[in-house]
Amino acid sequence: MKNTLRQVFHSSKFVVGFVIFVAILLTMFIYPLVNPGNPLQMIGVGTFAKPGTYVSLYDATKTNTETFRLPDADEKRLVKLLTDADRVAMVEWFDAMGISVEGLDISDTDALLDMWKANYDPAAKPKGMTQAKRNFYKRLNNSIAEIGAAETLIITEKNEETGELEEQGKITKTDYVNTSAVANVKTLPLGTDNFGRDVLKELISAAGTSLLIGLLAGAVATLVGLTLGLLSGYVGGVVDDIIMFITNIFTVIPGFVLLILISYSIGQEQRGATVVALVIGLTSWTWTTRSVRSQVISLRNRDHVNLSKLSGHNLVRIIVTDILPYIASYVVMAFILQVSSGILAEAQLSLLGLGPRTTEVPTLGLMMNWAMLYSAHTNGSWWAYFPVILTITLISFSLNLMNTGLDQVFNPTLRD
Amino acid sequence: MKNLKKILALLIAALMICGTVAAFAEDVDLPRTETLYFAGQQWGTVNSWNIIGTNQNNSMAIAGNAGGYRTLMFETLYMYNFMNGEIKGLLANDDYAWNDDMTQLTLSIKDAAKWSDGTPVTADDVKRTFDIGVEIGNGTGTGLKGYIDSIEADGKNVTINAKLNDEGKPVNPLKVLDFLTGTPIAQAAWIDTVVERNNGDAVSILNDAGEDVVWSGPYTKYYADDQKVVLIRDDNYWGQDESMWGKLPVPKYIAHAIYADNPAGENALKAGEVDVCQQFIGNVQNLWLEDELPISTYYEEAPYGVCLTMPTAWYNFNLPVLAENPALRKAIAMAVDYDTIIANAMTNQSPSFSDVPRSLMNPTEGEQALYDHDAVADLQWAGNDIDGANALLDEAGLVDTDGDGIREYNGEKISLNAVCPNGWTDWQASMEVVAAAGKNIGIEITTLYPEWDIYQTVFTNPSQTEYAIYMWSPDAAAPSNPWQRVNQFMGSEFVGVENNWSGNWGQYVNEEADALIKKIPVTTDAEELKSLYTELTKIYLTDVPSFSLMYRPSLFHAVNESVWTNFPSGDDGRNIPPADCTDGYGIAALYELELVG
Repeated sequence: MKNTLRQVFHSSKFVVGFVIFVAILLTMFIYPLVNPGNPLQMIGVGTFAKPGTYVSLYDATKTNTETFRLPDADEKRLVKLLTDADRVAMVEWFDAMGISVEGLDISDTDALLDMWKANYDPAAKPKGMTQAKRNFYKRLNNSIAEIGAAETLIITEKNEETGELEEQGKITKTDYVNTSAVANVKTLPLGTDNFGRDVLKELISAAGTSLLIGLLAGAVATLVGLTLGLLSGYVGGVVDDIIMFITNIFTVIPGFVLLILISYSIGQEQRGATVVALVIGLTSWTWTTRSVRSQVISLRNRDHVNLSKLSGHNLVRIIVTDILPYIASYVVMAFILQVSSGILAEAQLSLLGLGPRTTEVPTLGLMMNWAMLYSAHTNGSWWAYFPVILTITLISFSLNLMNTGLDQVFNPTLRD
Repeated sequence: MKNLKKILALLIAALMICGTVAAFAEDVDLPRTETLYFAGQQWGTVNSWNIIGTNQNNSMAIAGNAGGYRTLMFETLYMYNFMNGEIKGLLANDDYAWNDDMTQLTLSIKDAAKWSDGTPVTADDVKRTFDIGVEIGNGTGTGLKGYIDSIEADGKNVTINAKLNDEGKPVNPLKVLDFLTGTPIAQAAWIDTVVERNNGDAVSILNDAGEDVVWSGPYTKYYADDQKVVLIRDDNYWGQDESMWGKLPVPKYIAHAIYADNPAGENALKAGEVDVCQQFIGNVQNLWLEDELPISTYYEEAPYGVCLTMPTAWYNFNLPVLAENPALRKAIAMAVDYDTIIANAMTNQSPSFSDVPRSLMNPTEGEQALYDHDAVADLQWAGNDIDGANALLDEAGLVDTDGDGIREYNGEKISLNAVCPNGWTDWQASMEVVAAAGKNIGIEITTLYPEWDIYQTVFTNPSQTEYAIYMWSPDAAAPSNPWQRVNQFMGSEFVGVENNWSGNWGQYVNEEADALIKKIPVTTDAEELKSLYTELTKIYLTDVPSFSLMYRPSLFHAVNESVWTNFPSGDDGRNIPPADCTDGYGIAALYELELVG
């Protein structure tokens, strides 16, 4: 055993796969300790907040400030409010209104703004200008109004009794706060999803659920496949015929179609994560059966098996002690592949809306399903689905890598 | 042999070319600058043009929408404008008149109004349209026979006799007005043809495909298959007469490609392949703020459209646990986080319940003025009140006795489902939020999203016990609202009705409310009306037979101005409602469109 393990860990492929897998597992256990709480909690009111660090504006105004005179602060502010494209658009407005722009330098902000303020009329409808374009100019005009905003903003609070606004503080353009001093700062490395949930937290929890589904599905598929394969291969005869008949039928029907039909017919109310895992497991055992059977057939007439038979050992004992150990490495590899395909199957099912019912546990497939329903892929909210795809890829990549590594160790034809 | 092979190869090649050409030839060629493209209306192949039938999947030609009837091909007597409640003449002259006790309404058909076959529209057509409806039981007949007794025709003059109750008063004059704006008029002669060819059999008349239908509207059928439906302008349309529009509508073709789902339609809008999109688009403002597309909505700020309806979660009164526990009903409704629903599901295209406190009214000013806000303020809730909901449940004795975190009623844990059709994304998100609320107050609520065809048979079944909390919207805007909506929320006339599409989907019964609902249509005194509506609002907020989840435009209106411009907008002073440029008075927009550039 020790020797086998040593051999296995000499395979670089296995080690890489193993390291990735363990890293994922560790994240799954450690992250919830660092960032506890319900992963399905809707913290954001609104859809798809961008990844980044969010500072409470309310708390920030009540935090002690430092004064910095940064040389490029004004310019940055200006660029944010008035881009080069906006300047060109302003000239287009003058053109549309038939106002001469001769001698105007659009990089001269003051001249441009003066001309804008003198000529812009929100009620005007230049000929041929669409509603969308007119709305654009209204927004631009609001933005331009910001440029001329006062140097100092005053924070006021409404007095409950008198109803008057009382001054509470001032903010100037040179005031800065240290983010660590602000009471509430929330970092969302992967933003929020369509429900306003923390994507990273949900992702890590979902990876756990999906892995469990994969493990359960893999275990079921391997167990069924192994049992039937062993029986069919060793017993032979009528038993073999019956089992192979069933297996062949299941092989001919495309597994995924079967999966869809079963998932659909058991109905959403019954579809918990466990049930989905069982369904996946029960539709994906056929190839294990076939390969175990063929391996057992080649083992059946070995000398030690015959010896065991002569000694009067019963069927179960022969299978468990004389046959199973010889195919154990194969079974482990098959199991790993089954886990990987179980995770993929859950993702595919959920993407079609046939996965576990929602609101109870997050799974990778459900996250993709909701991201798709909310058109995250077309509205640019990559953080809602891309990390999920990456996680699925990483998990199945690491599992497959481990499988290949094991194959190299145990498969004599591949041995270096 | 060699030659044979050559010939065969040539033949096959020729066949393939022919096939391709044929496939292209079938495609109708629509000049982009003469065609107005729509999305979000037609989701399957058109199966019928029968205006008096019921088996219809023809949204461009035959559709009674919340904002008024779609008058592209078939016309109503009047057009409703939900922006100001105005009823404007279409086939009929503007001046309809009630008699003093509102038992009779008289109107006259415009002299210019003509059918597509050139014959004038007469009062007989109106009478026949109503009579055949009652006879065969189509939407017009079943919906209005309880309110309209008979229609008399005399040349161009129509007299509508309202149905009278035992006291000799009209049952509901408001529903008579609905007839004026909501019923498309069919030609009497054509109705006779249909009746004759179906031997008078009601079912086959309802299912007749009506390919030979006679119309009065500005457009008619041109092309329809499983890819698209196209209507073409009828250049002989009577409405170019000075007594109506004085001109023809601008686009020559009205086209609607049949998209697989909302995202497909949305992408087509973004690409400029669709001009008018009647679909919910999440974060619609990003289309112009971030993607910088020439797309705009009716209002440029949230809620972007005119919210006329309130998608509502209905409690199933067939389930004892819900029927017997008003506290449970109210607690769930109080615990739901509506701000999240509005921000998530509606992406803020709805006013919040703090802005417009919940009642039986939609958020338009006219309806909001109909009840006494102060009188019901104590009963209203803005949501996410977990403590309040928990206290209410504790007080009602619905407590968790076995310590599993779920409260029990009569020894059984309270477990409910929250249901809406699969793929209706904004509703699904709402149901998720309702389920989350349940978790916070110790009620097990699981979500369930059946396919639409299953959902619609279950929730319209008056004795179903499969769904506990499920969504549907009451009517939006019509002359008979808000009365109609109040009736849908609480009126017992719909209780026990099989295949119930009309109202009260939770089977709630309250005699006191019924009595008040009956009074409203015949009340004309404004103060009395207000007190009636206030009373009803009180009952509704106390008993909570259902709870609205958001305010919502009944029609979405996002337009891409790549080709066409001068669509109606909130600040243009024209008062054309954002009704998809096709419904009620919204069709006026089609006469004022302009090409860009």
